[in-house]
Amino acid sequence: MDYKVPLETYNNRVREIVLGKGNRELKIGGQNILPLHYFEGHAPNKPVVALQMDDNHANGWAEWVVEPYKDVVADPVKWARRCVDLGADLVCLHLDGTDPKGLNRSAEEAGSLIKQVCSAVDRPLIVYGCGDEKKDVEVLTRVAEECRGERILLGPAVKENYEAIARAVAENDHLIIAQTPLDINLEKELNVKLLKQLSPDRIVIDPLSSALGYGMEYSFTIMERTRQVAIVYGDTAMQMPIIADLGAECWKTNQARANKTQGIMWECITAISLLLAGADIIVLRHPDNCTFIKEVIERKL
Amino acid sequence: MILIGENIHIISRAVSEAIKERNPEYIQKLALAEARAGADYLDLNLGPARKDPEEVCSWLVNTVQDVVDLPISLDTMNPLAMEAGLRLCKRRPLLNSASGKTESKQNMMPLAVKYNTEIIISVLTDQGCPPDVDSRVESIMDTVAYANGIGIANEDIWIDPIILPVSADQKQVKEALEFIKILPDLLPGVKSVIGLSNVSNGTPANLRGILNRTYMLMMEKNGLYAAIADVLDAELMELNSGGMPGIREMIYMIMDGSPVDLTGLSEKEMDYVKTARVLMGEMLYSHAWLES
Repeated sequence: MDYKVPLETYNNRVREIVLGKGNRELKIGGQNILPLHYFEGHAPNKPVVALQMDDNHANGWAEWVVEPYKDVVADPVKWARRCVDLGADLVCLHLDGTDPKGLNRSAEEAGSLIKQVCSAVDRPLIVYGCGDEKKDVEVLTRVAEECRGERILLGPAVKENYEAIARAVAENDHLIIAQTPLDINLEKELNVKLLKQLSPDRIVIDPLSSALGYGMEYSFTIMERTRQVAIVYGDTAMQMPIIADLGAECWKTNQARANKTQGIMWECITAISLLLAGADIIVLRHPDNCTFIKEVIERKL
Repeated sequence: MILIGENIHIISRAVSEAIKERNPEYIQKLALAEARAGADYLDLNLGPARKDPEEVCSWLVNTVQDVVDLPISLDTMNPLAMEAGLRLCKRRPLLNSASGKTESKQNMMPLAVKYNTEIIISVLTDQGCPPDVDSRVESIMDTVAYANGIGIANEDIWIDPIILPVSADQKQVKEALEFIKILPDLLPGVKSVIGLSNVSNGTPANLRGILNRTYMLMMEKNGLYAAIADVLDAELMELNSGGMPGIREMIYMIMDGSPVDLTGLSEKEMDYVKTARVLMGEMLYSHAWLES
């Protein structure tokens, strides 16, 4: 008698979305499977890996994660190229330099910087504001306008400022990062509200990615449930790809800052865990992990 | 369903101030409003009543009994306040509440015997709130056996499964429905009661009513006997007295898993359909559940 492998299949899929345009175009999502269950269905696009950089001279980064970039941290355009050379599928630029409590770079400065970076690399961009709700609206709107049509993934859009950011994203043909503080009900609420302004293929969910030992299990379970609700239960307000912006969280820990090997391991284990939980975009700082996680994704290990 | 008016509650700032100042006017106004709205019992919730427990509870019971003659559900964690209040009740009161906690068994349950009251017993134990139907059953069987042992008959026991907010733990909402459904087989003769508004705790205030009302109808289908509820919600009272049968019928269909024809439904009817689906766990809850 033939043995038939019991498979669970689903009729629902994660939205396929397109990041970047032209030769930069990159698709994510589109799968009708739970994370990495390739044997159960169809996943046209695999998870992708971004390397993180900033406009803030890598201020506050542990020395071992600055090492691969130390000759370029003062020049974001060169830094972005380095990320690509080191194998990143995308470049994730955190505009920490716009923080009013720090360098307080202007929206204009940020806008022209992103425009330069955008034309300097042939990969899609992810741009995070500094996290100041008001300043982010100003900065991200400017970035959206300067780079009109480039389909940059912009955020974070949060409960307090999503309307203005969604407007800039819709008017200038970009995508949005919907960020909520580790709460699946708030996550859905923000998605429902964003869906009134944007089509679902312009939204990526950021449930916040905590580091190993600092609440990673919360991020894990929320990503896992987001996927189950989307794929198993067909909740259309939850069928967006997920971004795990974990680099900064990992490298902030005492463990990662204590020594190089441990730091790299700390980021790596967090990344693998959140990949298993369902992340479609993994944002990392260390290039060794970029290489390694891509191998994990390709199932070469 | 028997409705116990929840509105005289220490968490309300106006109530808390009126009690502190021993100002009968506001309390009596509320009591009369609840009675007029059709409450079957009035819940008087004093919380922990740390300061002058006996005096404060006596004052509150007398103040309310001066203007209405409804039976009282006396709600405090403080046994001294409880005893002082029960002693004064003109009609047979409801002791709200006892539980499987050791402290409650020792200090609260004997008062029900001593003053011949009915008693609400919840599924709580020293370990907290049981997480699923099976553990709720286990806990309540133990606690009721204990209550029977000290002389409280099943007929005087109202079981409370403890309702958790849908915004905090959506799965528990359905677990409690299931518990109410199987309760008569487990403990013949007991009644059931829930703190209805708990289901909408944490939800924005303007959206709480429809969660409460929908859950009341769902609980009613599963045989719930009584609810501590916002009796000043006119639509809730209308539903409880058989009004809006179309909405009741749709909610029952959703619970049975029957297909509901959504064509031509009014916005209000759609809101009830969406709410029932969220409470049944078919859709993930968010504060924007009516908007999608």
